[in-house]
Parts: sequence; structure tokens; C-alpha cells
Amino acid sequence: MRRGLIYGLKKFWSEVFSGDLLILFFSIVLAVTSISSVGFLGDRLQSSMQMQASTMLGADLVLRSTSQIDPEFLAKAKASNLNYAETTTFLSMVITEDDNLLTSIKAVTESYPLRGKLKVVNANGIQIQHSGAPPSGKIWIEKKISESLGLNQLDTLSIGNKNLIVEGIIEDYPDRNSSFVGFYPTAIANIADVEEMGVIQTGSRVVYRKLFSGTKNNLNSFEDSLKELPSDIRLQKAIDVSSDLGEDIANSTIFFNLASLFTIIISVIAAMMAVRRYANRNLLHTSLMKVFGASKPFIFGHQIMQLTLIVISASIFGLILGYSLQHLLLSTLQGIIIIDLPSPSLRPVIIGFTTAAFVVFATTAPYIKILSETEPIRILRNDFAIRLSSNFIIYLVAFFTMFGFLGVLFQDIKLIFYIVMALILVTFTLYLIGKLLIYVLSLIKFSNGTGWNLGLKNIVQRGNDSILQIIIFGLSLLFLVVLAETRTDLVDSWGETLEEDTPNYFLFNIQEYNLNTISDYLEDEAGIIPDFTPLIRGRLLSASRPESDVNFDNLMDREANLTWRYDIPQSNTLVDGTWWTNPDKVAEVSVDQEIAASMNLEVGDELNFSAGGKTFSVTVSSFREIEWQSFSPNFFFILSPAAGRELPNSYITSIKIEDSEKLMNKFITRFPTISAVNLEAIIDQAKKSISSASLAVQYIFLLTLIAGILALIASIYSNRDQRTKETAIIHAIGASRAMIFKSAASEFFILGMLSAITAIIFSTLLSSIIFYQFLDLIYSPNLIILGLSFLLAIGFIFFAGVISVRKSVYASPMITLRDS
Amino acid sequence: MDCFDEFTDKESVSRILKNKAKEILKNLILELKNITKEVNSPEGLLTIVKDINLTVEQGKPISLVGPSGSGKTTLLAIMAGLDLPTLGTVNLLGSEITTLDEDKRAQIRGQDVGFVFQSFHLMPRLTALDNVMLPLEILGDPHSMDKAQEALEQVGLSNREKHFAAQLSGGEKQRVAIARSIVNKPKILFADEPTGNLDKKSSDSISDLLFSLNEIIQTTLVLVTHDLFLAGKCKEVYELSEGQIL
Ligand SMILES: Nc1ncnc2c1ncn2[C@@H]1O[C@H](COP(=O)(O)OP(=O)(O)O)[C@@H](O)[C@H]1O
Ligand SMILES: [Mg+2]
Repeated sequence: MRRGLIYGLKKFWSEVFSGDLLILFFSIVLAVTSISSVGFLGDRLQSSMQMQASTMLGADLVLRSTSQIDPEFLAKAKASNLNYAETTTFLSMVITEDDNLLTSIKAVTESYPLRGKLKVVNANGIQIQHSGAPPSGKIWIEKKISESLGLNQLDTLSIGNKNLIVEGIIEDYPDRNSSFVGFYPTAIANIADVEEMGVIQTGSRVVYRKLFSGTKNNLNSFEDSLKELPSDIRLQKAIDVSSDLGEDIANSTIFFNLASLFTIIISVIAAMMAVRRYANRNLLHTSLMKVFGASKPFIFGHQIMQLTLIVISASIFGLILGYSLQHLLLSTLQGIIIIDLPSPSLRPVIIGFTTAAFVVFATTAPYIKILSETEPIRILRNDFAIRLSSNFIIYLVAFFTMFGFLGVLFQDIKLIFYIVMALILVTFTLYLIGKLLIYVLSLIKFSNGTGWNLGLKNIVQRGNDSILQIIIFGLSLLFLVVLAETRTDLVDSWGETLEEDTPNYFLFNIQEYNLNTISDYLEDEAGIIPDFTPLIRGRLLSASRPESDVNFDNLMDREANLTWRYDIPQSNTLVDGTWWTNPDKVAEVSVDQEIAASMNLEVGDELNFSAGGKTFSVTVSSFREIEWQSFSPNFFFILSPAAGRELPNSYITSIKIEDSEKLMNKFITRFPTISAVNLEAIIDQAKKSISSASLAVQYIFLLTLIAGILALIASIYSNRDQRTKETAIIHAIGASRAMIFKSAASEFFILGMLSAITAIIFSTLLSSIIFYQFLDLIYSPNLIILGLSFLLAIGFIFFAGVISVRKSVYASPMITLRDS
Repeated sequence: MDCFDEFTDKESVSRILKNKAKEILKNLILELKNITKEVNSPEGLLTIVKDINLTVEQGKPISLVGPSGSGKTTLLAIMAGLDLPTLGTVNLLGSEITTLDEDKRAQIRGQDVGFVFQSFHLMPRLTALDNVMLPLEILGDPHSMDKAQEALEQVGLSNREKHFAAQLSGGEKQRVAIARSIVNKPKILFADEPTGNLDKKSSDSISDLLFSLNEIIQTTLVLVTHDLFLAGKCKEVYELSEGQIL
């Protein structure tokens, strides 16, 4: 055994470069590259998505209430080792000598924000260094306040009883989109000054927030300790916030996993074919060695050493490639990933090596056995055939080992289960098709000796080899096509979320009397006819269910922005109930399904609102699913015209304008009472995310594609030796080159076409399962992709097949015969 | 004293017997006793060779002749320990190889046995030199390179060291194969139709080479052939017909 190991070590490179081990080597490299680059990207994407969501909250976890929050939570957070900050937000007049402005005041502790960045600059545009809260007695204001009140740095303003000095201008702060702040300009003050202001009285609209951040485990243990929250406290988690935005990313994570899973499967297929050829060729070598005195342990050691070296070298190679690819992907995904890279861990290295070892030994173990048990007498009998019957068991063993391993690796039993089912089904179908083909062809009497006929005859003569080739072609194609479809649909669906005419400005506070002027102005200046949506500021007071005494305790008095309209908005989908029964007669409301679920509402429940000084009640007529990425005004509650028309309202609109900055500056001067919110930054961010995610998806797909091509080549070459010999013989006995080419062409054409048809048909099945079960997308077969895949597959198999016989056709038959 | 005399007497007798045995073994390098080989075939149990007795003395080449299918290769495989007989014993170089397992037999082959085949069986992707080195590398011989070069020189092919099998003629291939078979200085060399795939001219030079090896490296040739002329060059010729020696 020791000698065998040494011998294997000595012979390794020459054997790798001689070609038999090369395909095995490359398939392992691909599997390792894929798993080490892609497998970890998903994790990283997810955690960075969460980071980003945390930024939107300013924390990982927030407790929010409209009344003071019990300090006991702080003790619990301390016990869980969490960081902590506090904000108190309320509306108040900011007063200067000659003007005032209703402002959202955000009073914060020094530790604010826990996640994300606060950006405050002084008059010269230089960033103010200390983060968190301004010192007591100072205040930071948004530009809008300084503009409308004519405030400069170091000017004094007052809020309630407190005079404050303007220290800086807020350029950005994290939890911008939480609550009513969107409508009012924001000022940030120190929480210690709130009491002195004296503006918070009973009945004031105040939101208290406790912000927490920490490690996942600590957050979880904190959350566990919170089990019974008082009904007035709401818990917000970064994950919840991210769920909308994160869906695309979640899908791309699934895609990456899928791609890496498929790459591994296809690599295993390629490895199997390569190993088969390697074993076939090595049978002579091993029997010779046996004749020359090599023992079973020697051969065993020789094989183990070579395979171990393959595992090691291919892993290293694959890890280097995987690491580079991961960097490429990460730099591509920079728009999405905002966290610093964690220091490189050993995990990918370990998983890479394990994957390589597993693929190599799962595919070779049976052959190692066959080779080390070779009878030396084969040499005297010139018998170097590996029996197919033992091959079947080999593949079965490899198959189950493979999925056991993949199940552990991907920890997604459901996905693996579907893939195994698809594999079994498709393999079986392809097997039957192969059998049928051979049966049908064997019935035909080929009398005239054309090349085409010769090829068909060869299919029959190769028997199980032909069937195996159909199966391998078919399986490789199946996974490639499914991935191609997934990739295309995913990228398309992302593209759709941000069409060119996505609005880039929200306009608020538009009064009825202004509508026409604004409409005209926008049409003249930018050629836009805005679509105004009524906005009713209201409160949801209570809910009740007719003829039952369901308790809606969980529903607290909360602000609610309402609108009314006749038709359902384009970006909304009705998921339950009906749109208005009679819009002009019946007072109804349509509710966002998630809000409805959180309040335990059912269609038919009564909701009581107050707005414009009066209270009214409406019946829940439907639930809607809202597509938030549409960037158009969306409402949790939409009233029927009968309920909403008479209520006092302002209007909002979202518009898409080119060259926005110039126009909006003019617009704001012209209509100073109107608030305009610029969405461009958010849209840009989203666009960047999407295009970089799409690009990343392309890279990953490319990897799978290479694996697929490798598998096809491995399969075509798996019986090339035999083919070459036959070619030489029939060439020697007078067949023309054209005839030999035609023979190979017809053979590969038939095999390629049957496997491609089967793969295409089954790919629609597997795709629809993946779309519905894992991506939450609607699947409709993409005929262009399917058609193109079909043609490319046949073309590739055909040409690669014909090229594979080229060498033996052009070589003198004598040389080929002599070789063997 | 009686007792002592008897003891010494017995001692000396056994010593004499042992020495005699050694002497015999020294000359007798291969002995087949009642060898029969049966195989299962689609037509039922088939006897390929039947009740063969045969000895080979050191330095006295023998040949097995007979028509194709008469069992020559089968018998050769049994002699060399590549295959086991159904019945009978084989003593090869002092070891009863019929009682040894495959790995022990392999060890004997590696150290003291050489093989030449009809279809050469050179490793196509190794150079001539690497092919010749193969048996020594299996033994883990640190001087395999020098010895292989020497063997190639002995077969007159030192100028072909870097050639691959496909770049050699049939005769040259067989020379490389012979170099490979003698590189471990075997005491016995089995050759199965070594000239069967060669033209007359190459065939002659290969047979000359084979018979000269006895002098160069003191190996004993066991030659299987259907070429009676070639067989005639051996001291002893066994003729096989339907698995039996005539
Ligand atoms: N494993 C086997 N199974 C069935 N028949 C065999 C087997 N090995 C050899 N034979 C048969 O035994 C006979 C002798 O074969 P062989 O020793 O190769 O003859 P030779 O070398 O003299 O041409 C042949 O008829 C051959 O077909
Ligand atoms: Mg023979």
C-alpha cells in the first residue's frame, strides 16, 4: 500500500495531463468553485439585507409606543447585552421671530442611531463630527426648515419654552421612513431638552421608541424575554421591514443555491463519465501492474493517492477560483451588500474540500474496487471490458451518496427531494426512450450502406452505451434549461419592478384649489399630467364584527392615512372579498392584507374611523396585496367613494420628471406649501441592486453552463476509444470519410434530439415546481428560451460529436489501429 | 549412546535429504503436477487443460506448441501464477504458488518473473523508458531509471527512450516489451506468442533476442508459440492438443 501511494504520487501529474483525469479534475474544480463562491453568497446577501433593513429602522429591533415605555425593558436589554438608544418624536411648531413651521421633532439619546449613519453638516458643508444627539441646547434641522424659516447656523429658534441654537443641517438620517415624519420636515434635538420644551402634554401625538441592536443570539434571547408585550407597544424588527424589499434578494439567494446545486449535480455527472473512461483505460494499466507483481493494496494505494491528489489539487484550484469569483460577485453586488466583508473563514475551505472528496470518492469508489481486483490474466486474454451490470450498481450507489451529501450541504430537504424525484423520473423516461429507440431501429433492415444508416446501426450496436449517453445528455440539458429559464424569468421580474416610468417624486399637501394650477404648471413645464390621489388624515378607532363579540383588543387607536377611489389601483391585487358593492351608495373599506392579518380582520367586519372632526363606520369589503415597489401612493385603507368623498382631504401625487432638480427647485418656489419628496436616491439604490443582482445571476449561470458543457463533452468522449477503433477499422476497409462523418452525424443527431426533447419537456415540469414552490413566481414556459435551448443543445451535441471523430477520420487508419 | 547414534544418524540423513532437495530446487525452477483447468461456459463445464505434468530446469528453455485454442495460454497463465488450476500443484521458484494468495503470487512475479505478450501491451501514454521502468517502480526500486536504460540497451533500443508506443514499429514495441520483462532480472521469462504479431524479419530478430537473453541475464525462457521452427530452438518442446500434452 505504501509503495502504491508513492507510485501514485510520482505518476500523478503525467496521468492528469494525459487527459483521462483532466475532465474529472475540471468537474471537481467546477463543483468546488460553485459551492465555495455561491454557497456563501446567499448567507452573506441575507445578512446584509438585514443590515440594510436595520439601517432603515436605525436599529435591529425597535419597541414603539404612543405612551412612555416602561424602563424594565432596558434592564432586560442590558441583561441580553444589547446596545440601546431612545427617540421621542412629536409634532411641534418651530418658532422664529417672524415665522413658524410645523415640524417633526425627533429627540434622541447620544447613542442614536444604532444602525446606519446620521449625516449632519455645518454651514460650510463640513460634516459635524460627533454623532448621535446634538448637545443640549442645540438643534439640527433639515434644509427645508432652514429655507422656509430663513435660519442659518447659530441662529436661535424656539420649541415650546426652550430656545435652541441651530448647530447643523441634517443631510441624512436612518429611520426616515418611520411614521408621519415623511410629511413634515424633521429637526433632531437632544432628548434631555424635551422636558424643558414642555410641549408634550396629555393627548399630544408622540411616538416613543426604544432602539436595540446586538448579535443575532442576543437579540433572540431579548425577544424571548419580551413574550408578553403590553398591547400599546409594537415590536418592529429589521426582518419585517426587509420582507418587501428582500423578496427579490431572497429569490436571488434561492437562485444562487439552485445554481450551485445544479452545478454540483452536473459536475457529478461529468465526473461519472470521466471516471468511467478513466477506469476503462486504466484496466490495461492495472492488469499489467498486477502481472508485474503489484498487489491489491498496491493498486488500491495507487488509486487512493491519485484521487486524493485530485481532491486536493482540484479543491485548491476550485477554492482559488471560487474565492475570486466571490470577490467578483461581491464587487458586482456592492449596491446590495453594504456590510464590511467578514474576515475569510475556514468554512468555505472545509466545505470545498468535503465536496471535492465526496464527488471524487462517490463516483470512483466502485471503480477503485474493480481496478484493484482486476485479474492479471485479463492481459493474456486481451479482455479490458468493465461489465455494465456492475456499472448500474455503481451509479445507484453514487446517486444516493450524492443526495445524502447534498441534503446535508444545502439543508433543504424539500428542494433535494424534488430534484431527486425529477432525476429519477427523467432518468427512467430517458432509459425507456433509449430502449424504444434501439428496439425500433433494430427492426429496420438497413440494406444500403450509406453513412446515415451506419450511424443508426451503431446506435443499436452500442446498446446500453447509447442509452447511457441519452440519459447523460438529457439530464445535463434538463438542469441547464431549468436554470436558464429561472435566470431569465428572475431577471425579467426584477426588471419589471422598476420600469422606466417609475415615479421619482412624491408631492404632498396639495389642496383642492391648487389642483388645476399644479396640473397646468406640470404640463407646461414637463409635459406631465399628474394623477392626484385624495389623502385623508384619519385615525382608526375601533373594529367590530357584526353578530359576534370578537374582541379587537390588539387593535389600538392609530393614525391612518386614507383615500377613496372608484377602481382598484394598478399596483394592488385583490386577494379576498369584492371591490365596491355599490361605490356611490355603500360605505366600505378595502384593507391591505398584511394589516388585516395583523388585526385579525375578516371581510364583513366594521371599522370605525375618525377624520376631519367626525367619526364614521365602514364595512370591510376586500383585502388587497400591495406591491410596494411600484413607488406610487399606496394605502393600507382605501374607502369607497360613498364613504370618503365628503371627508376633508388634501391630495398627493407621484410623478416622473426628467431633469428633476432644476424643475423641482422652481416648483418649490412657485408652490411653497407643497411638500416634495425625492425618491430618486431610493430608486437608484433599487435599480443598482437589481442590475447588480442580475449580473451576479449571469455569472453564476455561466458557471453552471460550463459544467453542463463539460458533462456533455465527457459523455461524448466516454466511448470515444471504441468509436475511434471502429472508425479506423471501417475506414481501413474502405469507408469514405464522408460516410464516417455522416454515420457519426446521424448517431449524435438522433441521440441529441431525443435527449433534448425529453429535457425540454421535463424542464417545464421542474421549472414550474421550482417557480411555485421556491420562488413564488408564476411560471409560464418561456418559448424563446426553450426553443433556443433545444436548438443549441442539438447543435452542440451534433458538432461536438462529429468533431470527436474528426481526429480518427483524418489520421491514417494504420496509426489508429497500431495505437490500440 | 545408542540413542545418540541413532539421533546423529537421523540428523545426517535429513541433512543429506535437505541438501539434495536444495540442489533439485536449484535446478528445477518450475514444476507442474497433475494440472487440470476447468471453466464454466455456456455449454457447461469445459476442460481446457487436462492432467499436465511438466518440469523446467534452470537454463533449459522449453516451448509449448499447439494449434490455436489448444490451451497454451491457459497453461502459461497457470505456470506463472496469473491463474489457478482447478486441480494440481505448481511449484514456481521454490514456492508452491497454488497455495498462495494472489498478492503473494504477485510478489513472486514482481521479483523473479518476466512476461512478454503477443500484443506487446505497452502503456500507450508512457515513453519507452517509462514503460520499461514500470515493473521496478512497482517494486519501489530506487535505481529504476538506470536499470531501465540498461535493459533498453540490452535490447538495442537506447536511442528510442523517449518514444511513445505509437511511434514504434511492431518489432520495436516488442523489444521494449522484452526490455520491460527483463528489467527486474527475472529467473524465468514467460513469452506468449511473442512473434505472433510480427513480420518474418522482426520475428527472427525478436526470437534471436529472446534466446540470447539466457546468456545475458541468466533467465530461463518458457515460450508459447504455434511456430514450430521457433519452438525447435528450445531444449524441450511440449506439444499441446486439446488441453493435453502429446
Ligand atoms: N474463461 C474461459 N471461459 C471459457 N472458455 C475459455 C476460457 N478461457 C479459455 N477458454 C477456452 O479454452 C480454450 C483454450 O484457450 P487458450 O488457452 O487461449 O488457447 P491457445 O492459447 O492455445 O490458443 C479455447 O477454446 C478458449 O476458448
Ligand atoms: Mg493463446
